[in-house]
Amino acid sequence: MSEHHTHEQTTRSPYAARIRAIEALLLEKGVLTEPEVQDSISYMEARSPANGAKLVARAWVDDEFKELLLSDGKAAAAQLGMDPEHPAEFVVVENTPKVHNLIVCTLCSCYPRAILGRPPDWYKSFEYRSRAVREPRAVMREFGYEPPEGVEVVVHDSTADVRYMVLPMRPPDTEDLGEEELARLVTRDSLVGASVPRASATTP
Amino acid sequence: MGRDLSYGPGDRVRVLPAEKPGHVRTPGYLKGKSGWIEAVIGRFPNPEDLAYGLAGRPERNLYKVGFRQADLWDDYEGPAEDILYADVYEHWLEPGEGGTA
Amino acid sequence: MGGSPGGPIDKSPHEVEDWERLADAINSALGARGLQSTDEHRRAIESLQNYRDLSYYERWVAATEKLLVQKGVLTDDEISDRAAEIERRWGGT
Repeated sequence: MSEHHTHEQTTRSPYAARIRAIEALLLEKGVLTEPEVQDSISYMEARSPANGAKLVARAWVDDEFKELLLSDGKAAAAQLGMDPEHPAEFVVVENTPKVHNLIVCTLCSCYPRAILGRPPDWYKSFEYRSRAVREPRAVMREFGYEPPEGVEVVVHDSTADVRYMVLPMRPPDTEDLGEEELARLVTRDSLVGASVPRASATTP
Repeated sequence: MGRDLSYGPGDRVRVLPAEKPGHVRTPGYLKGKSGWIEAVIGRFPNPEDLAYGLAGRPERNLYKVGFRQADLWDDYEGPAEDILYADVYEHWLEPGEGGTA
Repeated sequence: MGGSPGGPIDKSPHEVEDWERLADAINSALGARGLQSTDEHRRAIESLQNYRDLSYYERWVAATEKLLVQKGVLTDDEISDRAAEIERRWGGT
């Protein structure tokens, strides 16, 4: 092996060349076009948990929007300029003082990609997929979160065409924060329910 | 494989214990378990047929089904009120004990 | 999978590599063209013999490949030959 190889190259998956081969062949045969592939890449890059944070922050300050978000997630997302093209249903479930929700896909890795982009690696792991349904409280503890006494934990296994997102509770003492500042408190993990939003801008 | 009945919210149901080869969208841990219909989600093409390139018609009813965690796991760590929901297709359900169809 | 015992959850992030982005993109583009469905892709992933030995995106690529070959769009040989050429090019000589 030449000394010019970087560490990255020596540990590269053999599947990297395979997918490039597949891409090249599909383009040569006209099965797909370059623009289609590029658009597909851009589609996913444009999506991130920031979209979820925006939906949550708006729901925290606007009760009508919150009602819409909980009754018709796709319409709410469209209202904020997000484009949830995918035909699957998008359902937002609300955390309350009595109920904390946790989302998982035990069968694969269903996640509201059209809104939030790619799921975190841990969400796709065998460990999360096996344990979240059976010991949700232990899993949340690993994320540093313990629901208060008397709070019911509700797990949603997205086994079919519905993609779920959690609407976390608004952290206390945030009355004087604007929507953008509120959105910054909403973490990707809190949208899955593995933990809760940051308490303030200075909380890690 | 199950009768295509229409359930409504509140109905008690049981997930069929059947072993079915190939691509299956009902998780093993739910088979044979009893719960209730929380909501009717809608009608969708059957993903178990779509998985083989078939059209998946006629569409099937999809339900949000609720289960008490204490009924799913002998060693569940948590209060009796903890719940799990899964989205289950009608053909994987049968009326539960004391349930109406 | 659901309910099986499992170890601690690894929360470390890993940077998505370009080939992984491409795997995502090819998958979506084929879906948009009606050439494969999400359910077919899932089924193909589940049918992989070495499911547990592959990483998430490795499974995706293996499944996409399986479907393309099954549907007669590409052949296994073509893919292998081209992949070998690409590896040689990356080898840098």
